[in-house]
Amino acid sequence: MKQDFIKFPLHLIMHPFDGFWDLKYDGKGKARVALTILVLVVISVILRNQFAGFLVNFNDPRYLNSLTQLITIIFPFFLWCVSNWAITTLMDGEGKFKEIVMATGYALLPIVLTYIPMTIASRFMVKEETAFYYLVTSISTIWFIALLFVGMMTIHQFSATKTIIIMLLTVIVMGIIVFLGTLVLSMMQQIYEFIVNIYREIIFRT
Amino acid sequence: MAAKKWFLVVAAASLLFINAAPAPVSAASTPYESYNYNFWEESVPSPAAYVPSRSVSGADLGIGDFLEPSDMVVTESGLIYIVDTGNGRIVNVDEQWKVLGVISRFNNEGKEDTFKNPTGLFVDDEDNLYIADSDNGRIVVLTKEGELVRIIDQPQSEILAADFKFNPIKVTVDKAKRVFVVAKGVYEGIMQFDSNGEFIGYVGTNKVTRDYTEYIWRLLSTKAQKSQMVLFIPTEFSNIDIDAKGFVYATNIDPGSKEPVKRLNPSGEDVLKRFGYFDVKGDILFRRILGPSKLIDVKVLKNGMYSVLDANQGKIFTYNDEGDLLYVYGGKGNQLGTFKTPVAVESIGGNQLVLDRGKSNIVVFEPTKFGSRVNEAVGYHYNGDDQLAVPIWQEVLRLNSNYDIAYIGIGKSLLMEKRNGEALEYFKLGMDRENYSVAYKRYRREQMKEHFGTFMTVLLVIVAAWLAFKFVSSQRRKRMKPISGFASQKLKEGKTS
Repeated sequence: MKQDFIKFPLHLIMHPFDGFWDLKYDGKGKARVALTILVLVVISVILRNQFAGFLVNFNDPRYLNSLTQLITIIFPFFLWCVSNWAITTLMDGEGKFKEIVMATGYALLPIVLTYIPMTIASRFMVKEETAFYYLVTSISTIWFIALLFVGMMTIHQFSATKTIIIMLLTVIVMGIIVFLGTLVLSMMQQIYEFIVNIYREIIFRT
Repeated sequence: MAAKKWFLVVAAASLLFINAAPAPVSAASTPYESYNYNFWEESVPSPAAYVPSRSVSGADLGIGDFLEPSDMVVTESGLIYIVDTGNGRIVNVDEQWKVLGVISRFNNEGKEDTFKNPTGLFVDDEDNLYIADSDNGRIVVLTKEGELVRIIDQPQSEILAADFKFNPIKVTVDKAKRVFVVAKGVYEGIMQFDSNGEFIGYVGTNKVTRDYTEYIWRLLSTKAQKSQMVLFIPTEFSNIDIDAKGFVYATNIDPGSKEPVKRLNPSGEDVLKRFGYFDVKGDILFRRILGPSKLIDVKVLKNGMYSVLDANQGKIFTYNDEGDLLYVYGGKGNQLGTFKTPVAVESIGGNQLVLDRGKSNIVVFEPTKFGSRVNEAVGYHYNGDDQLAVPIWQEVLRLNSNYDIAYIGIGKSLLMEKRNGEALEYFKLGMDRENYSVAYKRYRREQMKEHFGTFMTVLLVIVAAWLAFKFVSSQRRKRMKPISGFASQKLKEGKTS
């Protein structure tokens, strides 16, 4: 338990090449840990938006909605995983879908580790010190992207350039999926309207 | 039948009830909506700051209707001068709206001379009248009685084009008798003349901002197409005023500009303070078809406040010296208090006057309790009497609890009294992050000083406890070690065998 949830994730973010290798080939990664990290990310983002200090918190409290935030994190996460899987299966990636989910989930850990302490610290900061807050949060973002990069590289056994191309393609595919999704949705709506109209016509005619 | 009767009774009763409770007629009902903008740049309803009390037309004054009047000046002694452009005359009225004089002609070196489309006027501290006689291309300086002092004619200078035609629109004069002129077709800035009427140069040029989409279009278009495109020239100024310290306030009507109001120092730099949440540019939210505010007049009030007039929506925006929007009043329409084409705003006593060219009249606006309290508090704050401003700000907050400037005002006073913890709350309500930071810095230091003893004690106890725990556990490990070492060895042996 302690090994799965604490020791291995912490080892992974410090030694990503080693860690992701173990994640894939030694079976040390667990999907439930990745999903727990994802939930923690959602919680830490919600906490940050709600409770970060006045000087760094530019959210309008009237429009903060935890459910919206939940969706805006969970949905892109799985969208990323699906489109990454779709792309890599075509381009000889070795990763399984479960491994993609795990790698992405574990890579999110720095965000959890920095957001919660910085949210607390930001409440005790004055204007000059908020630069520190922004520095730490941007480091965590860069860390996350770097981990994601190493993770993708190790999971799929790609070269560095290919990984970059794959990541960019994944983002494009995400856009395509969203586009197709809205297209299908609006078409379904039209079909539904059409059927309802025909039904009405028949009802009124007879 | 019985039901019908009942119905009648109920109807009669309801009628009675309606009559018994007439629609609440508030004393400050206005034909326009009053609002202000909050930190989130939303318009929030606010009590009216000024309400229209009466309108004055030329016929009311007994001198015949004004014809397209275009400027109005109130002197420090309380005299009102109106530039009646269409009739070519300057009307002088006192505070009680009694006509003191009408100047339509003057004696120019023995000959009788008249004005042709005078559009601007300034009255200096010696009560000399500077009249921008636009179609005659000159500025006429008259005494109060209408005697000619001098004429500022077409300027001669090598920096002016040979075919330059002097067409002054608005004029203002500083203490050193330098004359500032906004002239038609002059894009270089405000024309400046010395006390002898010699042209000195320009001040305060409007900058041309580059529009990048336009730039890309230009790159892609041919030479012939380029010549068809509009030239990028700086916008003209629309009006000027001068404050007691000699700073020139100028407005321009550049629709995309973020800085349509400028405060020019003697060397021509813009030194207007813009510390508010948003730009000093009139409306920040507007319907696209109506477009942004078109500021055509500026009036410097006392205590660093200034009002600007938006010709597009017929609104008057008043700002304090730091660039916070204090209140908005006015609108377009036909009722008293709304305008057709407002052209000038002035203040007399506590009231404000707006000259409407379309209706050829002057509307008098009186401050409400809210408006006068705001003015009072801003005055105290401007003069550094923040403590005196606090009770007034509190009254303002009772009238309008959405008034952010009042929270900030109280916060600043508390900060000065070193009541940092309370100041924090007020700055938070007023969404003032700068001052919040200052207050928090002091508050934090205060708290740290106060609780340093407790903090250190707790810290030392924790450290001591931790050391003790370490010591005890290491002692225990020492005792356990031979056994555990033996066990692990046993395990290893078991594995290998």
